[in-house]
Amino acid sequence: MMTWDLFKQYFNTWENLTAKYMEEWMKSPLVLEPAGAWLSGAMKAKAQADKTIAGAWGVFGLPTKRDQERSLHALNQIQSRLLDLEEQIAALKADKT
Amino acid sequence: MLDRLVALAQRFSRPMPAVGQTPAREAHRENKWRLLHYVARPEGRAFRAPIVLIPSLINRHYVLDLMPGKSFVEWLVARGHDVYCIDWGTPTDEDRFLTFDDITDKYIGRALRVACRESGAPKAHVLGYCLGGTLAAIHAAVRPEHVGTLTLLATPVGFHDGGMLSRWTRTRSFDVRAVVDGLGNVPWQLMQSAFHMLRPTMTLSKATTMLDKAWDDEFLDGFFALETWGNDNVSFPGACYERYISELYRDDALVKGTFTLSGEPARLENLTCPLLAVTFEHDAIVPWQSAAVVMELARSTDKHRLHLTGGHVGAVVSKKAASGLWPAIATFWEDRDEACAARG
Repeated sequence: MMTWDLFKQYFNTWENLTAKYMEEWMKSPLVLEPAGAWLSGAMKAKAQADKTIAGAWGVFGLPTKRDQERSLHALNQIQSRLLDLEEQIAALKADKT
Repeated sequence: MLDRLVALAQRFSRPMPAVGQTPAREAHRENKWRLLHYVARPEGRAFRAPIVLIPSLINRHYVLDLMPGKSFVEWLVARGHDVYCIDWGTPTDEDRFLTFDDITDKYIGRALRVACRESGAPKAHVLGYCLGGTLAAIHAAVRPEHVGTLTLLATPVGFHDGGMLSRWTRTRSFDVRAVVDGLGNVPWQLMQSAFHMLRPTMTLSKATTMLDKAWDDEFLDGFFALETWGNDNVSFPGACYERYISELYRDDALVKGTFTLSGEPARLENLTCPLLAVTFEHDAIVPWQSAAVVMELARSTDKHRLHLTGGHVGAVVSKKAASGLWPAIATFWEDRDEACAARG
């Protein structure tokens, strides 16, 4: 038990110091700028690759993944508008009665 | 050490605690989200105005209904409240086009109308947790019709707080449009790794705590339930994320008063309903300074700030919360229940 307590005491001290140091380090522009650049660069490359694949797919006149996403989103928007209308009709009926 | 490992291994051989167990029915469903209505206690409701809980978009709703005995929802229902909670569900690829206005205006508006219609009260007590609070505050500032009181639990309002996330999203090299173009919905793994970077030693610290409490079954059940929740996140709808980062994080538009909802100005000075802002001293995800700003901005005459020790999640689900935080929030609602239910 004593050994564990001692270990925990040392661990807590180490953890607090390390976390504090790493938090400061992580906030540094020296870390954040390259991390942002790497992420943005990788995402631009992925978007370009997706666009190229979609372009090739489109040559055959087939809908792309983005086309399907747009259609499904439009259906969801229509569902919301129908619900809006149902609410308005219910409110009008309630007003009449 | 070995005996601790053996005790932990034995605990792992048993099933993990079940989460989100308070009985509920689905009051409304639209796209991926649904509004849950918790079943009232057998002796019925003691209060008139319903409570609508709005969790963060990227976390599961059941943090507020973690497990029997550690559930804010269960505790509220037992006290006689009529409780609703939004479950945002899991966005799929087409939800990359879902906008901030869709979620904050349309969806939250519908949830409040359904709760008010079903309960028969004109207004509801609205509680938003974390990002859910930001959405709730914006909604209440523009569409106050069904908001009786507003409770903001660890809610970011000022985004220029000097924290790592705030600084990272404001670096010149971070291109939010490229991220959304490349990924569509922003995967929860990306956001989770950003949260891990807030305290990189957290995983080791958790492992040590687990070993330390290897024989404490009650503690371990709560710990595993929280870990289940912490690793069960959802992706952020792309178009909504882009606006969240560019206008809230980068421009600090809520503090500056330049944010809009469906084309209408969303100024927090328009908040006039009773307001309770809860901030936590050791919150690494939403620094208390970021959450406390609403007190200066809101014009409510009945506004209160509750500042407690503890972190972003622990302080909301811990044993201590059941005797401190939860009664404080419930009392705030109960004292204003009649006024809230009567206002037209």
